Amino acid sequence: MEYAGEDVHIRATNDDAAVSRCSASKAGYFADPFIPLFVKRAERRSPVINRGSYCRFIGIQNVIQQFLRACKQCDLSSQIVVLGSGSDTTYFLLKTDYAPTRFVEIDFPEITSVKCMKLHRNSRLRSLLPEGCQTGRGGAELYSDQYTILAGDLRQFESDIVPRLLETGLRSDVPTLFLSECVLIYLDPQFSDRLIASVSQQWPSAFFVTYEQIQPHDAFGQMMTQNLQSRGLQLHSIATYPDLESQRQRYLSLGWQQANSKSIAQLHRELPVSEIQRINRLEFLDELEEFNLLGDHYCITWSFQSSNSQIINHWRNITPSHIGAS
Amino acid sequence: MGTSDLDRQIQLLRNCEIITEAEVKELCNKAREILIEESNVQQVDAPVTICGDIHGQFYDLKELFRVGGECPETNYLFMGDFVDRGFYSVETFLLLLALKVRYPDRITLIRGNHESRQITQVYGFYDECVRKYGSANVWRYCCEIFDYLSLAAIIGDKIFCVHGGLSPAIATVDQIRTIDRKQEVPHTGAMCDLLWSDPDNVDDWGVSPRGAGFLFGDQVVKNFLAVNDLDMIARAHQLVMEGYKLMFDDKIVTVWSAPNYCYRCGNVAAILEFDENLERNFKIFNATPQEARGIPTKKPAPDYFL
Repeated sequence: MEYAGEDVHIRATNDDAAVSRCSASKAGYFADPFIPLFVKRAERRSPVINRGSYCRFIGIQNVIQQFLRACKQCDLSSQIVVLGSGSDTTYFLLKTDYAPTRFVEIDFPEITSVKCMKLHRNSRLRSLLPEGCQTGRGGAELYSDQYTILAGDLRQFESDIVPRLLETGLRSDVPTLFLSECVLIYLDPQFSDRLIASVSQQWPSAFFVTYEQIQPHDAFGQMMTQNLQSRGLQLHSIATYPDLESQRQRYLSLGWQQANSKSIAQLHRELPVSEIQRINRLEFLDELEEFNLLGDHYCITWSFQSSNSQIINHWRNITPSHIGAS
Repeated sequence: MGTSDLDRQIQLLRNCEIITEAEVKELCNKAREILIEESNVQQVDAPVTICGDIHGQFYDLKELFRVGGECPETNYLFMGDFVDRGFYSVETFLLLLALKVRYPDRITLIRGNHESRQITQVYGFYDECVRKYGSANVWRYCCEIFDYLSLAAIIGDKIFCVHGGLSPAIATVDQIRTIDRKQEVPHTGAMCDLLWSDPDNVDDWGVSPRGAGFLFGDQVVKNFLAVNDLDMIARAHQLVMEGYKLMFDDKIVTVWSAPNYCYRCGNVAAILEFDENLERNFKIFNATPQEARGIPTKKPAPDYFL
């Protein structure tokens, strides 16, 4: 297991991401009442990080909301699968809005066990679980008609995870959104490319959203790569997919019909003036140049395919920059 | 406080060791006596070496002095933002202040937008003072001194130096002289703009995305220089990956002196020497190696989105 040592550091990124999400939520950038329940020790992040976490959050949530609305408008069911889900709270956030028919999370067993335990111990979270939830695999998995948590290694996606997704009730004939946030980049591209291709083969009507690092070659990118390396994190696919265009081409070459990619800095520049004014009031963002640098090194890539032209017409208009859509 | 005491404190601070709270209080009292006599727009003689943002990157300030020469041998003008973001804002600001008290004619400090009570409570200087001294007293003494720092400087009657930039409320340098500067940086108005504004490719004035100050264009700069019989504006405030940036036909220059800003940005830094004829010479320097830099081991690595 050449990855064993590295996996410890990869799993630790989940706590880091949760702390950042919690910090931005507490500062008022967006409302995620559930994230504090998953954070062991809350910390206040700098305004630069808070604003980046905000752009990531609204970018991803915008895409999810529009995806769900499009399915509903076409009278179709919908499913969401979160790859490397960690402390993701989307299931709970969606409970009150357009909930998908089925929501599945997949992560390392070390992560899912902790999450399953929290879901059962916290009364607020427990009350939001569907009726008749079962646990399995020593408490690392959760099964129900609406919400499933599976433990596994994404490097064995095709051989191990896909069969169990189908066994536990995920349908391949229902439009399904796959979400991965800072997950695929930690895998060797031979594994992540196979994963992206096998989703495209198994789910003919699907949407794939990825948030991850780009631009490793400029001065900031080199420092980023180096700093993350010193934390034991290797960005395995960043050199293969180093910019927006190669990110887009990646999905097209792995079987997807259409693909787009947008940097976090670009997404930030497209925020409506009223929203910029609102977040400027939360915290002074003095370091705009630094924010733009950081934002140039992260992107949201979304791709999709379907033989249903009606849904494709809706999906074509989906963008992470869509504000005030709900 | 005698000169020998002061020299001992400078020696400690040069080694990145803090001085006592009582010593900080006395140093600030001395500094206030000197700064209160300085004008809002301080006259500075060439030759002088001007520096941009430092942001508590103490080991990089040491490198700056190695590259530019030590004070008092080299005459320095620091254009603000001494504190916040880096791990050593306390040592950085106190060293610069001690040098100011010891060699008042060889170093000029003007105010940056981070020399503010409000900003330092968000960006780290307040927390660092409390962590290093166990109370907010040192932060309070320093903030009182911030209020006495000059707002701008003019080198050899020709080079206008300011942390941020120009203000639509300011047409002449004399108008800056009439500001009552001994206050916290206001949220709007001339004093705020001098510390917050940025040059940009706008026609005239534009709304700043920072939420304070303005964007100002080519013509604004050229008018200001013509009206005040000046050659050029030198300012800091914006990270420049190459250390410095000339704009508007070389009528304005941004100087950035914090290499690998926040231990994350990978940029180089610059200082700008003006000789006695006001000829420019940029000096570029890199961040000190990680080993020599002494990031406290408990401090986590710089934040990213993971």
